[in-house]
Amino acid sequence: MGEQKKKIVYYAGCFANYYDPEIGKSFIEVMERNGFEVIIPDEKCCGMPMLANGNVKGAAKNVKFNLKSLTRAASPGYDILTTCPSCNLMLRSECVTFFDSEEARFVSEHIYDASEYLNKLNRKGELNTKFGRMDLKVFYHAPCHMKVQDLTYESVNLLKLIPGLSVVKVNTACCGMGGSYGMKKVNYDLAIEIAGKVWEEVKTAQPDKGVTECGGCKLQIEAGTGINVVHPQMLLREAYGSY
Amino acid sequence: MNGILPVSVLEPTAEQTQRQTAEIFSRKEKEAKPDVEAIKAQLREIREYSSANLPSLVNQFRESVSKYPGVKVGVAENASQAIKYINEVAGETKLVSINKSTVVTNELRSGLESTGFKVYIRYFKEFKDFDKVIQDYWQLPGLSSQGLGQSFEITTKIAQLEATEVRDYIAVVGVNAVSAEDGQVFFLQHFSNISEDLNEAKKVILVVAIDKIVKNWEDAAFQTKCNGIFGLESMTLDLESRVVEQYDFEKLPPLPQGQKREVHVLILDNGRSALLSGAQRDLLLCLGCRACVRQCPIGHHFVGDGKVWSPKSYLWSFLLGTNPSTEACIHCGRCYVECPVDIDLPTLMWRAQFEHYARHGRTPKKRLLDYPELLAELGCLAGPIANWAIAKPVFRRLIETMAGIHREAHMPTFHHESLRKWASKRKR
Repeated sequence: MGEQKKKIVYYAGCFANYYDPEIGKSFIEVMERNGFEVIIPDEKCCGMPMLANGNVKGAAKNVKFNLKSLTRAASPGYDILTTCPSCNLMLRSECVTFFDSEEARFVSEHIYDASEYLNKLNRKGELNTKFGRMDLKVFYHAPCHMKVQDLTYESVNLLKLIPGLSVVKVNTACCGMGGSYGMKKVNYDLAIEIAGKVWEEVKTAQPDKGVTECGGCKLQIEAGTGINVVHPQMLLREAYGSY
Repeated sequence: MNGILPVSVLEPTAEQTQRQTAEIFSRKEKEAKPDVEAIKAQLREIREYSSANLPSLVNQFRESVSKYPGVKVGVAENASQAIKYINEVAGETKLVSINKSTVVTNELRSGLESTGFKVYIRYFKEFKDFDKVIQDYWQLPGLSSQGLGQSFEITTKIAQLEATEVRDYIAVVGVNAVSAEDGQVFFLQHFSNISEDLNEAKKVILVVAIDKIVKNWEDAAFQTKCNGIFGLESMTLDLESRVVEQYDFEKLPPLPQGQKREVHVLILDNGRSALLSGAQRDLLLCLGCRACVRQCPIGHHFVGDGKVWSPKSYLWSFLLGTNPSTEACIHCGRCYVECPVDIDLPTLMWRAQFEHYARHGRTPKKRLLDYPELLAELGCLAGPIANWAIAKPVFRRLIETMAGIHREAHMPTFHHESLRKWASKRKR
């Protein structure tokens, strides 16, 4: 019998699933290059946008579905990874707070953000660091939901492993988008005012690319600066590809 | 107890601040830094005790403070009763000075004004030619974690509420902490407005919101000091030269010598006891330091509306019914990160909003956005057509009218092949 393949469970979330599948494809490739098989169980929206909209019943239904699906998939002892900070916060904290159950606690204990997990592998000397050179200046924006989980520098630490890549600025101010908050007419002007600081910092730093994990932050930064903003997993995939 | 009610005012002296700050920045890593986590733990213990023993602490404080001769004690269950009490105390006097206390400013000021008082905050007179340097939270240096705790000491102790120059006005000042054991009162002041009012006003009304009552004077002093340690930077966000009507209290002629001053302690509940049995109980852990303002992205928007703003006061005013919603909260979670006693304000904010929706329902616009994933699925199915449509102004106006999504908001584009579809094809 050959060596059993390492496995992780991936919760992709709506943004990677419907709006920017390259995030998910990149993540899967990155994990495969680290010897993992990626299990993608059935999933529904994590429920955070529903909670934010006051649809508690709808959120409860989705949460129940996701917790069951993730628990079943991860029950052999696999870790659960996300690429979206808000889905991560929802599955790690909010599900326990609002919809506590044994499954909620199981998922909360087994969940990691993708960058957090890769850094964990790196600390154990288990990360594939065969990154090709990328002469690139990037601007990193830390989404609020990374910041509140004390994950602000996880992606920066990973990106620094790519030869030639320099993180010219780490921005930790809020971008004002907050999911669909900044899209709503009632909040739009305030969201633009909040975003002003981030846009100003991008323009000053003059990077080649922006990097952030959050789909909402990506949209907001692109809207005000015209810069291309990508997920850290996309840069990691590119760096592996150019080795 | 025969003495006069001890009222202590804590303030950072310039000399002390300079010395301590220099020490912080020149300190070598190997030397011990003040342990902020230990300060937080001690503070949390004080707040938990206060919250768990609220009714008995209120009774104990009431008894303790009543023993000081000359101090009159009033109890108000709500803001209206407090206003009534102040009216009775004031008599003919209609001139009131208040401090920048969240309790007095947000809960009592409008009631005082509507009953004919002219109310002023002397705090802002210090900013006549003030050049605002700190515009928003990202310019704050983040000193609270570097040991500024040492810079707040008791520098003024007003042992006797007796003054040489008494002027004919009422001071209504919200306290930072009081001791249930012996009635001692503590203030934190950044400038001189509180001391001036304590020294000069003919009638002083010390407003004690019941959650400011702690076990003993050591805890009260520590809590007040913590207001400075954790709230210092948030305070700088409010500093600006704003158009605030001022009254020159110094120009009021002193009353003839020998005027008897009055000191009142007004114990104010105003909905706080009711928190004990509900989902918002953790709000009683709040010491009112306003650290939650420090990184709040929407805070700047509310500065200058006449209230003392913080995410906590935003929620509190919603619970009191003086603010219609908490929907301006972006739910970023930064207030939770900053709170020295770990109050999960974002969760409390949502819980309050959910209860409100359960009672009053939600708007059709909100309901339309109830199933974001369904919209995404439909968008992906329609693929390029959906993307073409959301780029057209006519559709954007329609979406704005129906779902409240701003017509100029940058929206994501749909992919005809979702990740799941791609992954299942790949598997085959």
